[in-house]
Amino acid sequence: MRITFKLNGRKVECETKPNQTLLNLLRVDLGLTSVKKGCEQGECGACTILLDGLPVNSCLVLAPQVEVRRITTSEGLADDQVMEALRRAFMEDGAIQCGFCTPGTLLSAYALLKENPKPTEEEVKTAIVGNICRCTGYVKIIEAVLDAAERMQAE
Amino acid sequence: MRLLPSFSLHRPRTLREALELLRDLDEAKPFAGGTDLLLDLREGVCQAKHLVDLGRVEELRYIREADGKIRIGAITTYTQLLRSELIAANVPVLREAAACVGSVQTRNMGTIGGNLCNASPGADTAPPLLILDAELTIASLEGSRSIPLSGLFAGPKMNSLRPGELLTEIRFPIPPAGSGASFHKLGRRRGYTLSLINAAAFLEVGSDVCREARVAIGACAPTPIRMSTLEGMLRGKRLCRRLIEEAASACHGLVKPSTRAHARASVDYRRAMSSVLTRRALMDAWERARGNLR
Repeated sequence: MRITFKLNGRKVECETKPNQTLLNLLRVDLGLTSVKKGCEQGECGACTILLDGLPVNSCLVLAPQVEVRRITTSEGLADDQVMEALRRAFMEDGAIQCGFCTPGTLLSAYALLKENPKPTEEEVKTAIVGNICRCTGYVKIIEAVLDAAERMQAE
Repeated sequence: MRLLPSFSLHRPRTLREALELLRDLDEAKPFAGGTDLLLDLREGVCQAKHLVDLGRVEELRYIREADGKIRIGAITTYTQLLRSELIAANVPVLREAAACVGSVQTRNMGTIGGNLCNASPGADTAPPLLILDAELTIASLEGSRSIPLSGLFAGPKMNSLRPGELLTEIRFPIPPAGSGASFHKLGRRRGYTLSLINAAAFLEVGSDVCREARVAIGACAPTPIRMSTLEGMLRGKRLCRRLIEEAASACHGLVKPSTRAHARASVDYRRAMSSVLTRRALMDAWERARGNLR
C-alpha cells in the first residue's frame, strides 16, 4: 500500500505494508539510521521519533498509521536551535558514551524543552524515563538537558 | 525479535464504519494505541487476520462534562488525560494513574479504552475508574448498551465484549464536595514500570463520618476488583487513622493473588502489599476529602 506523510519537513510518498513498523520503514527503507532498532517492544526508546511533535516508539507504530501525519527524526533537526543547544550540552557534559540511545534521548529532551523551556530535574527525569542508557547512568544526561535549557534562557 | 505476522489493516473514519468492518471481517480485532496489541501479535499471544485501527475515529476522542458526569471517549490517550483541565480539577486520582503508565512514549500512543479492554489485572486506569463508579458505553450495529466497568473484566487479559462490539465511552459522576480519592502503585522501579499491585480509594466525609467508601485493587486477582467487605467496614463510621489501618489490614485476607509461576510477585508479597497500598490510598483520599491535599 502507498502512503504519504511529512518526514522532516518534506512530503514523502512511499510503498509500505500493513505489518511494517514505522521503525522499519524509516531505518531500513528510508535510510534514517538515527532511528535505532533496540528492543522492539516499546521498552528501550532507541527508536523514538516525534509523531506530530510528540515522542513515540516507532517500533510500536504501524507504518500506514502515519498517513498524512508529521514525523520528525533527529536528522530533521540538524539546524534547529533547541536541538543544537541540546547536542552541544550533551557533548560538553559527557552525556554520550556509545551513542546508541542518544538520538532517541535527544528527541525526548527536545520535545520537553519545546513545551517546557525551564524544566525541573524531576520533569527532565520524567521526560527521558522511556530512553534507556546503559553507559552514562543518566546523571550526565539529566545535567545536559538542564544545561541546554539554561543556555537557551541565557541566549 | 519476531516479525509482526501478516494482517490487513483497516482505517475507518467513523464509528459506524468501524462497527461495519468488525461485523463483516473474519477474525478482526479493534486496534487503539497498539502499545499492548502489537506486542501480543508479535509474540503470538493473540492472532488477527484484520486489524481495525480506531486512531482516525475522531468522534471517540474527547473529554467533556455533561449532566454532572465526566465523559471520556475510548481512544483518548493518557497524555490527553494528563493535559485535561477538567480531569485535573475534578479527578486528580485519574491523573495520578495516567501519569504512571509506561513512559512518555507509551502515554502518547496508549488509550484509556485500550487499557481497559486489554483487561490486564494490573491495568493502572482500572482501580481509579472502579472507585469513581465508572460506566461504559458498548456500541454495536444493533445499538448501544451501558455496563458498569466491573462488567468489562472477564479474566486476565479477557474482556466481556461480544464480537462486533466496541467500547466507545467511559463516564463517571463528578465526585461531590467533601470527597477525595487517591491512587497508589507499586512496581519494580519508581517510574516506567508495570504494577506489581495497585490500589485506589474514594472517601466521602461529612462531619468526620464516612458517608461513602470505595476501594479497588489491581493485580491481586484475575481482574481488578472492588473491595466491598472493606468498604463496609468504613461506611457510616467515624473516620480515624485507626479505623483506616484496621480496614486496610483486612485486605490481606480478602485478596486472591494469582499463583501462576510467572506472576510478577509472590502471593504472600502481594497480600502484604495490598494492605500497605490500600492504607496509603485511603489516607490520601481522606486528606483530599478534608481539603488537606491537592
